[in-house]
Amino acid sequence: MSLLAAGIAAGLAALGASFGIGMVVSKTVEAVARQPEARGPLQTIMFIGIGVVEAVPIMAIVIAFLLMFTF
Amino acid sequence: MEHGTPTFTIDLFGLPVMFDLSTSLMIIITCLIVFFVFFFMTRKLAVRPTGKPQVLMETLMNFVKGMISSNMAWKQGGKFHFMAITLIAFIFVANILGIPFTIILPDEAHTLWWKSPTADPTVTLTLAGLMIVLTHYYGVQMQGMGNYVKSYFQPMWFMAPIKFIEEFTYNLTLGLRLYGNIYAGEILLLLLVSLITTGGILGAVGGFIPLMVWQGFKLFISAIQAFIFVMLAMVYLSHKLSDDH
Repeated sequence: MSLLAAGIAAGLAALGASFGIGMVVSKTVEAVARQPEARGPLQTIMFIGIGVVEAVPIMAIVIAFLLMFTF
Repeated sequence: MEHGTPTFTIDLFGLPVMFDLSTSLMIIITCLIVFFVFFFMTRKLAVRPTGKPQVLMETLMNFVKGMISSNMAWKQGGKFHFMAITLIAFIFVANILGIPFTIILPDEAHTLWWKSPTADPTVTLTLAGLMIVLTHYYGVQMQGMGNYVKSYFQPMWFMAPIKFIEEFTYNLTLGLRLYGNIYAGEILLLLLVSLITTGGILGAVGGFIPLMVWQGFKLFISAIQAFIFVMLAMVYLSHKLSDDH
């Protein structure tokens, strides 16, 4: 049962994270296409944004590991 | 997949304080690698760079300088230059140590001795906590105690509890992001290796290419995570330093 819970938690986290990161990257690609000379700063901002988005699914993964190993 | 950890417990006034020996060993190895790489790459310095080591070091310094100056004025942020270089080098080396191989002793507990030290939440949360405490220290030092306390009530007075909780969230996300990325990567590496070693001829053929691809991708993740950690530490520092809101 806890394995199932861990699987659901990890899967939903991956789903949300992929949508969020996809949105960040697609907007960055649009911005770079519009203004190619701003590529460097935009890339930095993109990586920060990805890092911020990624924090939440990573916590879900930690919860999944907790479910798997402790319960 | 269960691996034992070599632990060493001392009794501190009735409280058991547990040390993870493999993590401690890997931190010492990381420190030695970083120290000797930087030591030998900065021996023959010249105004006109003659070899690759100095050019590499200068590239790293300029890269970190760009990271800091994209967040705060160089007059304020210049004092964090060497701290940021040390941090990014330490985290990067710590992240990539677990990629090439791992050492698991063949005893019944399967003691894991060689891993990334950042695949341990205590290490990453300690690093993150260190950075957060540093932001508060420099926040008080640069803008004074009064302005520091006032910054909690800044947009509106009822924002104070949220701003207070935010500090703990910063610590948690900064540490757990690094830990989660590195630990998940190591788990997948171990899974692929066990597929190759126990999956017969089909597993060996099928697992070899994904293992190599994942090792390359993990190198990329390691660099990105070291970059994001230092970048976000600098962003949090600049939040505390700036007095214009």
